[in-house]
Amino acid sequence: MYGKGLLKGLSVTGKIIFKKKVTEKYPEEKPQLAARWRGGFQLDVNECIACGLCERACPNSAIKLTTKKNEENKRQLASYELNQSYCLFCGLCVEACPKNCLRFTKEFETATYFKEKVKLDLFNNQNLSAPASSYAQLDKKKETEGKEGE
Amino acid sequence: MKTQTYTVNFGPQHPSTHGVLRVVLELDGETCVGSKTHVGYLHRGIEKLMEDRTYPQVIPYTDRLDYLAGISNNLAYVQTVEKLMKIEVPERAEYIRVILAELMRIASHMVGIGIYIMDLGAVSAVFYPFIEREKILDLMCHITGARMTFNYMRIGGVAQDLHPDFIPALDKFIADFPRFIEDYHKLVDDNEIFKARTKNIGVVCAEKAMDYGLTGPNLRASGVKHDTRVINPYSIYDRFDFEIPVGETGDCYDRYVVRMREVEESFKIIKQAYKDLPEGPVMAKVPKLIKPPQGDVYHQTENPKGVLGCYVVSDGSPKPYRVHFRRPSFNNISIFDELFIGHKVADVVAILASFDFVLGEVDA
Repeated sequence: MYGKGLLKGLSVTGKIIFKKKVTEKYPEEKPQLAARWRGGFQLDVNECIACGLCERACPNSAIKLTTKKNEENKRQLASYELNQSYCLFCGLCVEACPKNCLRFTKEFETATYFKEKVKLDLFNNQNLSAPASSYAQLDKKKETEGKEGE
Repeated sequence: MKTQTYTVNFGPQHPSTHGVLRVVLELDGETCVGSKTHVGYLHRGIEKLMEDRTYPQVIPYTDRLDYLAGISNNLAYVQTVEKLMKIEVPERAEYIRVILAELMRIASHMVGIGIYIMDLGAVSAVFYPFIEREKILDLMCHITGARMTFNYMRIGGVAQDLHPDFIPALDKFIADFPRFIEDYHKLVDDNEIFKARTKNIGVVCAEKAMDYGLTGPNLRASGVKHDTRVINPYSIYDRFDFEIPVGETGDCYDRYVVRMREVEESFKIIKQAYKDLPEGPVMAKVPKLIKPPQGDVYHQTENPKGVLGCYVVSDGSPKPYRVHFRRPSFNNISIFDELFIGHKVADVVAILASFDFVLGEVDA
């Protein structure tokens, strides 16, 4: 009979109408993001040893940092700029950080009306209040613990 | 009365060309009598960019070739470099790679099938596969932190071990997915309109498919049993039990059927790999600065769209001298100019959609 297949398909649609909705009420309810979400950035300047590994790991040279010597003749961070317009959000900088001070955050609404805001000045605005992501964090902790155990 | 043919620009800004493909169609009434495919509107020069990046820095760029299957592209590149450097990848990393690559294949086919049927006018049929794809992207997100540009594979293993949230989510996916397959077969397979639009449309015989270098589901729909995972196993694919689905006539309907069956086979592989998933490290001992020895190497993997070949030339420095990708979509769409002739405009849309190509990969 012609149309049998159509009716069979319609029965599937009919069944699914009464199922639970799968969409999210986005602006009213914020989504549950994965623990390793790669969103914004935060930098703990006090922890940073200004090694420059993140700068070198970046495929697009989106990170620019300068250093200065402090009174004890130790290297210290002087400025840190992350240009998000060049950023691929690949996470290689966060993985490279030996002190876990450069981290991803779980921010996701990063659109802005101003072009200047796309460049992140992480030296003056460390963005530590944003929820941190566990991307490349847990494994590192485990690794260092393992080494201490040996 | 004298009639004449006319020329129509189909694309680059047309929703049915799946991106920025431009097809110049010469039409006699509604029948296509000539066609010229133009590519290059999404060319970003990725292969050239890679020459200025170190070996690990190339990996995020491979995500952006076939952006519906980032993991599979990652896999092709890292395995090529591993082949060049002769690195042994830990067991657990291999299993994670296979699970993710097959999940990615399902996600890519979900888009391929969904958009295909939507282009034929069945709008509700696109949402069911997209729900499943969304679940897979969420699974990926638990491990990699991203939804499409994963950058997860590393030379010598994978970036991070599985996240604890991933295991229950995968369990749930494995439990729910067969239900979707069943429903979707019911929804589409016997649909008279779908059959009328696709049966005996865009027939590619096996010989012609091989002449044009088609690979992947498009080749298998023509009845050629060719799958790199089986004929030239890479990674640990020789340990799993799965079939190569093939079509009979090579028409648009067969391309749908083959994709659907491939999804089922991928699901079988995921279940097997997940059952045997061993414990252990996920990263081999790799030098901090990756400097492969001088030489060149070519490696092929089976991507959702077809055979992805990766050619890397090393001059012994930390940056590749040349990286080239044999992108399956590029070869697959080369048949269009010949295939469109004699079909109606609406059938051209059906053929385009049934080939499931991604312009990011075509233009690279």
